[in-house]
Amino acid sequence: MAVPTDVIPRRPTLLFIVVLSLLFVLMSLSSRTRYIGETRTMFERTVMTVFSPVPKFVNWAGGAAQDMHHGYLDMRAAVNENVDLRRKVASLTTENLRLRQTGSDMRRLRSLLAYAEQFDFETSMGQTIMLDTAGRFKSIIIDRGSDDGVQVNDIVANASGLIGRVVLTTKDLAKVQLVTDNNCAVGSLVERTRRQGVVRGNGGANVQLYDIPSLADLQPGDRVLTAGIDGIFPKGIPIGNVVRTDQGQGLFKTVTVKPAVDFGTIEEVIVIHTRKIPQQVVRYAP
Amino acid sequence: MRWLRFAIGLLIALTLHSLLDSFYPNALAFFNPYVILVVYYSMGGNILGAIVAGVLAGFVQDAFSNAPFGLHAFSLTVCAYVVASINARLALRGSLAFGACLGGAVIVNELVIYVLVNILMKQKIEMFEQALLVKTIFTLLFGMLVYQLLTVFLREEPIEATRNKAVW
Repeated sequence: MAVPTDVIPRRPTLLFIVVLSLLFVLMSLSSRTRYIGETRTMFERTVMTVFSPVPKFVNWAGGAAQDMHHGYLDMRAAVNENVDLRRKVASLTTENLRLRQTGSDMRRLRSLLAYAEQFDFETSMGQTIMLDTAGRFKSIIIDRGSDDGVQVNDIVANASGLIGRVVLTTKDLAKVQLVTDNNCAVGSLVERTRRQGVVRGNGGANVQLYDIPSLADLQPGDRVLTAGIDGIFPKGIPIGNVVRTDQGQGLFKTVTVKPAVDFGTIEEVIVIHTRKIPQQVVRYAP
Repeated sequence: MRWLRFAIGLLIALTLHSLLDSFYPNALAFFNPYVILVVYYSMGGNILGAIVAGVLAGFVQDAFSNAPFGLHAFSLTVCAYVVASINARLALRGSLAFGACLGGAVIVNELVIYVLVNILMKQKIEMFEQALLVKTIFTLLFGMLVYQLLTVFLREEPIEATRNKAVW
């Protein structure tokens, strides 16, 4: 069915081209400046701030719903018992679950705390509220922001190892670029041989270790740590273990590293407030 | 009223995004709620409105992903424009037409992102064809469900609900 011509706006194509051009410029600026963190657009921060209550509410509601769901399951299990026994069992089961959860939380938090104390830098704890680990651009969002002292280029880790670095902050949230993201690069060294290289994300589950000469001694199982030479990541944080080394086509090996962190299961994280490179140095960096 | 509906739709899409990111982090690789929202609003044939809807939905998606800011806004705007242009001339109706537009929009969206990522970031997307196929199927299934539900609950053709006779 044809639509009368007066329904169609007069110059939508011109507007469309203008909008696309503006978006392309915005995108180019964003992709060009993403490596030096602080220069991310104000616009992005504003949009994220405006909509930040939504993920926070979803996280809270999801947690509450999970609690209710678990409570319901516990009750279902007790239905077949007699009334007195059921009350007793339900009570003990609930108590047991709570204690086990508390014990597991304590173990995890203790290991996090012990890990945090290794660093000279100030640290703070945070919780993840969004995990985008399967998409092309891998990131997580944590519930700590600039009000809690989190700044761009702060390092995020947990007891297993390096997670990534903060690339954007709002007052109460921070976006963290994962080490597996295509655009993340970390100065690193092999613990056993002290050979230095650069770990880069490749968008997959593993990361690649570059700049390792083909004659260098490197074996599967070698542990890879941050080298502390890139001005962002402090020295000594575990990145992962070498799982494969191939002879590359040139002078360097192709090395695959399995990250130490299972990114799908991140809960609590440590934010390490590193000493930042002065802005004037960042500005003149190549 | 149209803007209110769009705002509610955008909040629902972001809620879905947050929900999946929080509890099923892999799900968003196979499904895009923002495309459904944008196609739904573009089916009215109002090109200006569709462009605005594409830009807004894309900005929200960009803000909560690690993509260069504007990437999804660009791709969703292209989808919105194409769907709205077709509907401004043909006034397609019914769930089948919506499904066809949605499927096409998902493919266009992914292709635009593929090209932009190649141009701007000099990166190649791994397993693009497989991801495109799966994303198209799942987004289509979910989009058709949403369309049917809205048709039942709003008791009107959703396309009519978003059509603007004069200007946006």
